Amino acid sequence: MAVFKTGFKYCWCSPISVTILVGFPILIIFVLGSALASFISPDYDFESLPVSASVETGGSLEIFLQSSEISQFLDVTFTTRENAEELLESGEAFIAVIEENGSVAVIRPPGGGMNSLIPISIIDSYMQIGAAMTAVATGGDILESAQLIQAEISVIQAPLGNRVQSSFDYYAVTMLVMILMFAGINGIELFKKSMFSETGARALVTPVSKPALVGGLLAASTVTSYLQGMVTFVFTRVVYGVYWGENIPLVLLTLFGVTLFSQAFGIFIILLFKNPNLAMAVMQSGIWVMTFVSGGYSKVDFGAADAIFRFSPNSLAHTVIFGSAFGGNHDRMMFDLSLLFIYGAVLFILAFLLGKRRLTS
Amino acid sequence: MILTMTGTVKRYRALIALDHLTLNVHKGETLGLLGPNGAGKTTAIRVLTGLTGADAGKITLFGKELRGKANSADIRRRIGLVPQDLALYETLSARDNLEYFGKLYGVYGAELKKRADEALEILGLTDVAKKTPKKFSGGMKRRLNIGCAIIHKPELLILDEPTVGIDPQSRNHILGFVSEISRLGTTVIYTSHYMEEVERVCSRVCIMDTGRVIADGSVDEIAKAAIFEEAITLEIKEPTSALSESIKKIQGVSRCDIENRTVTIVSAADSGNLARIIEVAAPYVILGISAKRATLEDAFLALTGKTLRDGGEAS
Repeated sequence: MAVFKTGFKYCWCSPISVTILVGFPILIIFVLGSALASFISPDYDFESLPVSASVETGGSLEIFLQSSEISQFLDVTFTTRENAEELLESGEAFIAVIEENGSVAVIRPPGGGMNSLIPISIIDSYMQIGAAMTAVATGGDILESAQLIQAEISVIQAPLGNRVQSSFDYYAVTMLVMILMFAGINGIELFKKSMFSETGARALVTPVSKPALVGGLLAASTVTSYLQGMVTFVFTRVVYGVYWGENIPLVLLTLFGVTLFSQAFGIFIILLFKNPNLAMAVMQSGIWVMTFVSGGYSKVDFGAADAIFRFSPNSLAHTVIFGSAFGGNHDRMMFDLSLLFIYGAVLFILAFLLGKRRLTS
Repeated sequence: MILTMTGTVKRYRALIALDHLTLNVHKGETLGLLGPNGAGKTTAIRVLTGLTGADAGKITLFGKELRGKANSADIRRRIGLVPQDLALYETLSARDNLEYFGKLYGVYGAELKKRADEALEILGLTDVAKKTPKKFSGGMKRRLNIGCAIIHKPELLILDEPTVGIDPQSRNHILGFVSEISRLGTTVIYTSHYMEEVERVCSRVCIMDTGRVIADGSVDEIAKAAIFEEAITLEIKEPTSALSESIKKIQGVSRCDIENRTVTIVSAADSGNLARIIEVAAPYVILGISAKRATLEDAFLALTGKTLRDGGEAS
């Protein structure tokens, strides 16, 4: 218990840990969320850009275009397809947005330049975010979702009700999962201090058993990291109004699964390499790959890699959380959640055994 | 006898860190372990505390033979280790650090608080008990480093160069503390680069070099055993070469040099030549006489051919 308490205090009070695991995600979610949601400056003195639109009445795209945030930037004329195209040709609209049979097309005039760039970006952000969330939630392919599966956009409206999805909803999930993965640094830092330093040497010559020492450190880094993640979770929910779905216990359980995995991963590699700096480098590289490829930020399209990314911890966590929020396939969610915990448990056991061996050999 | 190491060998690949080391520590004594960098002092400590295993040899601690790497919990409870580098949690308060290591040794509750108070008092840290070590001076950190090793009142306290890089005031504080704890009956193993520290606090000294003990005894015993010559200096008004020749004829005198008024004589140690030299110089006006006592530093130099602090060859 003493090892746990001290390890907890050490991680919780560590400036690096607090900055990276709490301050950074809150800031980055705000920056990314604001950049795409046009949320930063609703009072910005900006002349609305004329857009013609032929969209499904009552559909999510119409709700999106009618929202107060978007109307700050776009002056949308809802009309028929023919009329929308005429407005575009006459120059009365900078772009035309056409929704037909669940598919969305954006038409821009030749040489539209900056006039059409902003409205296109806004529509594109809506489509990317919506498609990504929908694809993940409904069991679609994340990489394909990043390439805009327009047909699935209309599905979003049902679980969200009349709420317009925000890029915050997307980035809060992906960023928190990423940060909890990075929380493996808590484990590495704690083991570096408590095992691979003079402080560790001093602890190892005490009567405390090696399993108790390793177990206490593992528990301390896991609990601290999870609580730090919870600070971000609560902050995004309360301050940013992020939609985490109705099944919060499932979301929290998933986030715990991610934390378990990241701690076990971090501690396993530091015990494996016995070199904290090398372990940190390996962990950070691995997390970046899992986040930016599996997280859907980057498009990678080559054969077997798809399967690897599909079963990466980030991808599994995204599936469960987005699925929980937006009506995903229940069986797949449960499968992915189970797999996430299996990963963590296996690595935890390996780290524990490796720790015992390292300390007694 | 609290500790006996016999024929202990420890290798790190091609390097032999301990070369059939034989070392005994008696109950209640303060043993100084001297040696240059790489002599094997820290390795010896790591072996006897169970941080690393010996490749060969027999080690008995508190009457129990050590087998394999880890010491039993009972033995570990009776040892306090002050590592060479600071072994503290810098983001925890001084009291938290003390209490953490106290708990690891099985001290809890009111007893733990009482011992933490005592340690803070003895080490002069009561006023900064709630502050974190990152705000401490080097000397204060070193003192707290010691406090964490004595919170459980060990029978054997091992201090591995505890005064490296600190101010004279803190060094005095630490040396005073070691003398006091030794007086109260704690057995102490004290490694250092500083001769004067060892001479001040240790009742016995072992000089280590290349993984072995090359001299063992009290400070005086080692100095006498190792130093075969002593230097005598006379200040004489108008010394002559005839005086020099006369002194050189005294049995045991190997050199006699004159420079201005200073006559420097090198003679065999404990030869009793000082009286004979004064007798020969009596016709002259003697302004001053000095004889340099052999120190541990001289002994170390004579025994190892190395200077102590940098471990380099003596010039």
